[in-house]
Order: sequence, then C-alpha cells, then structure tokens
Amino acid sequence: MQNFINEFTLNFIDDSRYRYIIEGFVNTMIISLFAVLVGIAIGFLVAIIRSSHDKTGYMKVGNFICRIYLTVMRGTPTMIQLLIIYYVIFASVNIPKIFVAVVAFGLNSGAYVAEIVRSGIMSVDEGQFEAGRSLGLNYRQTMQFIIMPQAFKNVLPALGNEFIVLLKETSISGYIGLTDLTHGGDIIRGITFSAFMPLIAVALIYLLLVTGLSWCVNKLERRLRVNER
Amino acid sequence: MRGNVLLETKDLRKDFGGNQVLKGISTQICQGEVVAIIGPSGCGKSTFLRSLNLLETPTGGSVIFEGKEITAPGTDVNKIRQKIGMVFQQFNLFANLSIQENITLAPVKLGLMGKADADKRAMELLERVGLPDKAQAYPAMLSGGQKQRIAIARALAMNPDVMLFDEPTSALDPEMVGEVLELMKELAKDGMTMVVVTHEMGFAREVASRVVFINEGVICEENEPKAFFSNPKNQRLKDFLSKVL
Repeated sequence: MQNFINEFTLNFIDDSRYRYIIEGFVNTMIISLFAVLVGIAIGFLVAIIRSSHDKTGYMKVGNFICRIYLTVMRGTPTMIQLLIIYYVIFASVNIPKIFVAVVAFGLNSGAYVAEIVRSGIMSVDEGQFEAGRSLGLNYRQTMQFIIMPQAFKNVLPALGNEFIVLLKETSISGYIGLTDLTHGGDIIRGITFSAFMPLIAVALIYLLLVTGLSWCVNKLERRLRVNER
Repeated sequence: MRGNVLLETKDLRKDFGGNQVLKGISTQICQGEVVAIIGPSGCGKSTFLRSLNLLETPTGGSVIFEGKEITAPGTDVNKIRQKIGMVFQQFNLFANLSIQENITLAPVKLGLMGKADADKRAMELLERVGLPDKAQAYPAMLSGGQKQRIAIARALAMNPDVMLFDEPTSALDPEMVGEVLELMKELAKDGMTMVVVTHEMGFAREVASRVVFINEGVICEENEPKAFFSNPKNQRLKDFLSKVL
C-alpha cells in the first residue's frame, strides 16, 4: 500500500506532474470535439452529394471529387495523414498544432462518417422517397423532412462507434509534438521512469470517456426510437 | 356524368433498358370517372399508373394533364404532382412523422396552408377516414388497413384533382380490404376522379365507370364494367377473367 502511495506521489503529485495529464486531457477533448464536428459536416455533405448522384445522376464532378477524397482518406493510415498535414501541407505556415490535429482527424473521420451516412440514406425505403415526391415535395424537401431524419436514426449506432474510434485515434497526436492525453502520460513516464501509474491512469480516463460517450449515444438512440412501437 | 378530359396519354411508351413495358398506350380520363385498370402481373399496369404523375419517366409519347403536356421539357413536375394524389401498395407513410404530421407535411411545407389550418384540415380528414383518435400515433403502431386509410387522407389533404391508386389493397390482410374499399367507394361517390390499378374485380365491377385491361404493354380492351365482365371480346381477357373470377 505504501508502495502504491509512493508511486502515486512520484508520478502525479511531485512537481505537480498531474498537470501533464490535465493538459493532455483538455487537448484530447478539444481535438475530439472539433474533429467530430468537422467530420459530421464533411461526412453529411459528401454523403448527400454521393447519394444524390446515385439517385439523380447529377453532380458528376462533385461525386468524382468525393470518391477521390474517400479513397485517399480510407486508404492511408491516419498517422501518415497527420504527419503529412503537419510536416508537408502546413510546413511553411506557423499554425497551432491543435488546429492541425483538428483538421487531420476531422478530414479522416469525415470519410468514414460519409459512408456511414450514405448507407443510412440507402437503407431508407425507396417508397418513402416516392411518397414525398408524389405529394409535390421537391428533391431537397423530401431529403430534408423525410429521408435524412430516418437515415440519421438508422446510422446512430454506427456513428457513435465512429466517434469512439476517433476519440481513441487522437492518441497519435504526440507524433506532431502535441500534448494530448497519451502524450501527457508518456511525458510523466519519461520523467519518473515508472510506466505503470501514468499509463494505467491514461487508460482509465479513455475508458471513462468512451463509456460516457456510449451512454449518451444510447440515450439518444432510445429517444429517437420512441415512434417505433 | 362525364366531364371534361382531365388526364390523357398519347402513345405512351416505357422502356427499361430494352425491355418494353409500355408499348404505346393512348387513353383519356375524364373528370369524375373511376377507371379500374386490371391485367396480369408484369403487364405494365403499375408502370402506366406511375407514368401519369411521372414517378416513371416515359421514354416516348406524352401525358397531358388539364390541357398541359406534362411530359414536355421544362414542366414544373412538383407543381403538377400537387394536383395528382397517389396511394401506394405499401402505404409509404412517413415513418418518422406522426399521423397528423404525415397529413400536414406537404400542405405546410409547400406553403399551401398555415400550420393551424393544416392541423384542422388533418383532423377533418381523419374524421372522414374514421381514425380521429390516431392523430398523435406513429405509422408503426397502425394496422395495414389503418395505414392505407391514412395514406388516402394524406393524399386528400392536397385537394388533388385526380387520385391514382397502385394496388391499394394488395398488401392488406383479407379482413382489412373491406374498410379501404369502402372508403374508396365513398370517394368515388363524392365525385373524385380516380385511376385504380387493382385485383379486386368486385370493386371494379361495382364502383368503376370504366374498366381497362392491359396486357403486354397495350390496352387490349376497355368498356363499362357490366359489358366488360359479362361480354369480354378479347381472347386474352377471357382467359384472364376465367382465372380470376
């Protein structure tokens, strides 16, 4: 027990080392939150362009660009994307690292969100679309009021899963020298040469975050399912 | 009884990738008429019906609605569809909306009615189809027959000039067919112009003012129901009737 307290003090209390964890936690939260928002924005946009193309045949150029985006984002490792965006694309500009991370993770997540949302749009019965159009609603109105609400509900579990993956994936932010939660814990390990405490602490915080996130998604899912009995 | 020509097709054709489903259908539907369309499955009767409001885009010929050729390029199809109600075999009620919202969505979003007026009208329509207590329910909570009556109310909310029915009772349990047919009968009595693709020969005989037999993409025979059923001339129709009657 005394050993545990000593270890704890060494890793978190001495020199206020807990601040690395706090700083990392805050950065992880900021990156994840904004990357999710960027991912949702891009994902919905790409999904709507792609499914509109499939349904109507319009927007050939848009669809082509989207497909290139999806191929690149899903075909290369997130870490490489992060490094390229930091060391190549933003190499000559002085930009906060956290912004770079938001851009990288947002772009990456957008590709997965796009395909999830597109699968949701396609899962809505064609008859729903026809019923909307037969009443005189135009394509946009039908999508907005009838298809998208149902698509969103259908893909919520998959979206929740994507956000969990994203949150955990931000743990590679250390590769561009950004102190996220993982990197914060690792800094402590480097100072104290004690691995157990900081790494377990970091793991527990991730676990807590993911559990909280799943709980929220589950709650939302149940609320949206009210009209299905 | 017969009014002006409301809906007309001229040499209407539809190809699905080389597969000719409609091979030139020309007919007129007048105000107040109830036209029953019958025929073997795959004969093109549903495709014909869906061409009337351009859910299927014809590959040849034309559809003329209230004197305007709606198959002409540049036609505002959405505007036309507001006047042509449609009822589907699978009901297609909007699953994410309450019954009341199902009925009010189009009139409100298209700016034809305010929310309050539309709600009031929805209640009147629900009274009319006998389901006033279902306003706040969701489609998944209703039986098939109830869904189809709501679907009819939804189409009526747009005050259409003509209503298209695509096998409205084919997906229903037998004991629910009656309630839907009864409602359609009332509509016909009130003077609604209706085009009904159906397998209900009883309905065609009793309610329709004209019965049209489509086979292999063409109209083989059409007549007023009494003569149509008692004295069919076309051999294919005779065979068909001998199987279904």
